[in-house]
Amino acid sequence: MSDYIIEMKNITKKFPGIVANDSVSIQIKKGEVYALLGENGAGKSTLMSMLFGMYEPDEGEIYVRGKKETISSPKYATQLNIGMVHQHFKLVSNFTITENIIMGMEPQKKFLGILPYVDVKGSDKKIAELSREYGLEVDPTKRIDEINVSTQQRVEILKMLYREAEILIFDEPTAVLTPQEIEFLLDIIKGLKEAGKTIILITHKLEEIKKVADRCAILCKGKLVDVLDVATTSTKEMANKMVGREVNFEVDKPEPHYGKEVLSVQNLTVKDDNGFDVVKNASFSIRGGEILAIAGVSGNGQVELADAIAGLMPAAGGKIILNGQDITHDNIRKRIDDGIAYIPEDRQKYGLILDFQLKENFPLKNYCKEPFSKKGILNYSEFDSFGEKLIEKYDIRSGQGNKTIVRSMSGGNQQKAIIAREVEQDASLVIFVQPTRGLDIGAIENIHKQIVAEREKGKAILLISLELDEVMSLADTIAVIYSGEILKVADAKTLSVKEVGEFMMGVKGNETKK
Amino acid sequence: MKQKNNSIAKFFVKMLGNEKYQFITIPVFSIIVSLLVGAIVILLLGKNPVEAYGNLLQGSGLLMKEKYAGGKGMLTDFLSFVDYWTPMIFAALAVAVALKAGLFNIGVSGQMLAAGFIASVTVGYSTLAAPIAKPLVIIICFVVGSLVGGLIGFLKHKFNINEVVSSIMLNYIVQYVTAFFIYTKYVDPVSRQSKNIADAARLTLKNVEIGALKGDIPLGIILAVIVAFIIKYVFDKTTFGYEIKAIGFNTNASKYAGINVGKNMVIAMMISGGLAGLAGATYYLGYFCSMQPKVLAATGYDAIAVSLLGNSNPMGILASSFLINIINKGSTYMSSKAGLDAEIASVITGLILLFSACGAYIQYLVKKNKDKIEENKKAKGEA
Repeated sequence: MSDYIIEMKNITKKFPGIVANDSVSIQIKKGEVYALLGENGAGKSTLMSMLFGMYEPDEGEIYVRGKKETISSPKYATQLNIGMVHQHFKLVSNFTITENIIMGMEPQKKFLGILPYVDVKGSDKKIAELSREYGLEVDPTKRIDEINVSTQQRVEILKMLYREAEILIFDEPTAVLTPQEIEFLLDIIKGLKEAGKTIILITHKLEEIKKVADRCAILCKGKLVDVLDVATTSTKEMANKMVGREVNFEVDKPEPHYGKEVLSVQNLTVKDDNGFDVVKNASFSIRGGEILAIAGVSGNGQVELADAIAGLMPAAGGKIILNGQDITHDNIRKRIDDGIAYIPEDRQKYGLILDFQLKENFPLKNYCKEPFSKKGILNYSEFDSFGEKLIEKYDIRSGQGNKTIVRSMSGGNQQKAIIAREVEQDASLVIFVQPTRGLDIGAIENIHKQIVAEREKGKAILLISLELDEVMSLADTIAVIYSGEILKVADAKTLSVKEVGEFMMGVKGNETKK
Repeated sequence: MKQKNNSIAKFFVKMLGNEKYQFITIPVFSIIVSLLVGAIVILLLGKNPVEAYGNLLQGSGLLMKEKYAGGKGMLTDFLSFVDYWTPMIFAALAVAVALKAGLFNIGVSGQMLAAGFIASVTVGYSTLAAPIAKPLVIIICFVVGSLVGGLIGFLKHKFNINEVVSSIMLNYIVQYVTAFFIYTKYVDPVSRQSKNIADAARLTLKNVEIGALKGDIPLGIILAVIVAFIIKYVFDKTTFGYEIKAIGFNTNASKYAGINVGKNMVIAMMISGGLAGLAGATYYLGYFCSMQPKVLAATGYDAIAVSLLGNSNPMGILASSFLINIINKGSTYMSSKAGLDAEIASVITGLILLFSACGAYIQYLVKKNKDKIEENKKAKGEA
C-alpha cells in the first residue's frame, strides 16, 4: 500500500496533431490540495479528464488507493469516489437544486407500498444538512435559473459530495467568479480539506494556488516541468517555470500624454431584445492616449455598451460621438471606416470565422478595400502576404501557418489573431472586451503590452474587463458599471481596489446617491 | 491476423493517405464502397449486379446496347441523358449557392415549376421566332425563379421566418396555383397535362438528324457548364463570394465585420432561385415540353443529394450530378432488361449518399492509421 491516494504514471495522450500529455507522472497524497498549473493547452484539463474517465490514456497507468485501475467512464470514476466540477457547469436550469443533485441516483420510496416515486422532500432535507456540514449554504428548493453563478458552483460541489466523492477535481473554478466570490470559494476549499477530502485544483491563477494549495505541479506543453512545495516557492518562480521564461508581472506603463477627445458617450441608453434597459444613461469620454477601463461584475451591461459603440446594437437614447462626429445611427461598416476597432468578448462567436483559414480571417473587415480586392475581385496573393506579415509580427502560432483553419487553433492564438487584425486597422478608438479571458500568463502579458503600445501610439482605449487586477494595472481612468449605470468615473490613481470592488457590488454608489 | 490487418491498413493509407488528393480520392472510395454494397443487394434479389450496373450505363448511352431500334443508337441515348442531366446541374447549383450562405433551399422544385409555368404561358404558347423565344425563355425563367427565391430570403431576413418552412409552403402554393391555371386554361384534353409549347421556344432541339441517327440536342448544357464555372469563380475570387461564405459560416461574425447580412442573404437566395428557374427552363421547356399539373419535379429534391455529394462545389456538382443521373436515367432500361425494379436505383443513390456522409470519418481513420504507420517506421528507424 503506497501513501498516495492517486498515482498517474507515465501518462501519454495524443490527439490528432498534438501530444496533450507526454509521459506525465504525478502522485497525490490523501488530504492535500494539489494544484495543476500551466498555460492554456499545457494539458492540465486533459490529464484530469483521464482521471475522471472522460478519455483513456494512450499509454501509462493510473493507480487509485494503490490499486491499478482502468477508468473507462465518469460513472466508474464516481464509484472510485472521484468527482469533478467542470469549468462549464452541467446543470439542468429548470430543475431545483435538489433535483439536480440527486439526478442519476434518485432515492425512491413507494406510495402505498407499490407505486415508486422519487423522494424529493427527504432529499431536500438531506441536502440542506449536507450543505450546512460543509458550509455551502444553499436553499435546496430553488431552481437553478433563480440562483447566481457562485451558488450554481456550490451546487456542483454538493453534487460531488452527495456522491461521496473523496477526491475532488476543480477545473478553473474561479474563472466565472467575482473577487469576493473567489475568496468565499477558496474558504470552501480549505474547509473541504479540513474535512479530509483530497482536492485537485486546475488553474492558471497563481494567487489562488498560493492561498490554498499544498503542492503544485507545473505543466508546460504537455510535459511535467516540476512539482513544487507551494509554501516555500514564490509566485514569480512558479510563473517563470510555467511559461518557461522570465515573466514581468508589472505592466510597464509610462506617464500618460492625453490628446484630444476621441470618444464621447452622452446619456447612452441601450435596450435588450425584451425592451429592458441594459445600459442606462451612461456618459463618459476618452481622450487619445488614455485607457479608460470599465470595471464591473459580469452581466451589468458592459458587453451591450461596447456593442452599442461598435454598432452591433442600436442605441435607444443618447449620443455617441467619435472624433467630433455623431455616429449614433451609422452602420457598422461606416464606424469601422471612421476608426473603431473592436476586440469582442466572445472571440469565437463574433471575432472570427472559425471555418475560414487564418489568412482569410485577417482581412475580415478590409476585404472589400484595396489592396485586398479591386472592383469586387479578391487578390489572394495580398491575403497571403498580409497573413504572413501578421503571423510573424504578432507571433501567432498555428499548425499550418496561413492555411490553418482557425477552429483548430488554441484560444490564445485565436485571440492574438483578432488583436493583430484590429490593431492593424489603425483605428483611433480600440475597444477591448475581456481581452485576456481564459488566457495564460504568457499570453496575458503579451496582450497587456499591446494595449499599452496602442495607448502610446495615441489611440483612445476602452477596456472592459471582469478582472479587477487587469483594470487596476492598466487603466488611466476607471469607470465602474453596476446594473447598467456608470456609478463612478475617476482617475485610476484616486481609487483603491477595495473602493472599486464596492462600487462593483453597487454598495457605495447607492449610498452616495442618497 | 495482426500482420494482415497491418497490410490492409497500409494499403488504404497508400491509396487515400495523400491529403492533397483526398478531396477526390475519398468520395471515389465512398462511391466504390456503396456500389459494392448495392451489388450485394442486387445479388440478394437473385440478379447479376455486373449486368445490372451495365444496364444503367447502357440506358444512359455510355455503353453500347445489344440492339437499337431504327434511327437510334448510343448517341441518341447519350443525348437524351445529357438532356436530363442539364436541369439537374442547375438545380444542384441552386442548392449549393444557398448552402454556402447557410440557407437550405428545399423549394427548388417549386421555383422550377413557377419559372417553367410563367415562361410557358408567356413565350411557350406564343408565335415568337426561335432566336428571340429561346433567350427570352432563359431570361424569364431566371427572373421568375429569383423573385420566388428572393421572397424566401426576404421573409427570412425581415421576419426571421425559417427558409425551410417558407419554401415548402411556397412549393404548395406554386403547385396548386399553376395546376388551377393549367386545368382551366392550358390543359390538353388528351394527355391531361398542359398543352405542348411551341418548338421555337424549346431549349432542346428535337429529333435532329445526325448522320444516320436521330437525336435531341440539349442547348442548355452549354449554359449549365458555363454557369458552373461562373459560380466557382464567384465563390473563389470575388468579395461577394467571400461575404456569402462568411455569412454561411457565422452570421454574428459577419455582422461584426460590417457585412450587410440581410442584403447578402436575399441576394444569395435570389441567385439560388434564379438557378432553380434555369433548371425549370431546361426541364419544362427542354427535356419536357409540358407540365403535369399538381406534380413537382423530383429533380428539385434529388438536387439536394447531388449538391451534398458534390460538397457544394460547382465542379464536384458537375461530377456528382453526372453520376446520379446515370442511376436515374439508366434505371428504366435496367428494370426492363434485368427485371429489377427501377426503385433499386433509389436504393443505390441512397447508399452513395450514406457512404459519402461518412467521408469525414473515413478521412479520420486514414489519418489515424497513417500516423500510426509513420510512428512505427520512426520507432524502427530508431531501433
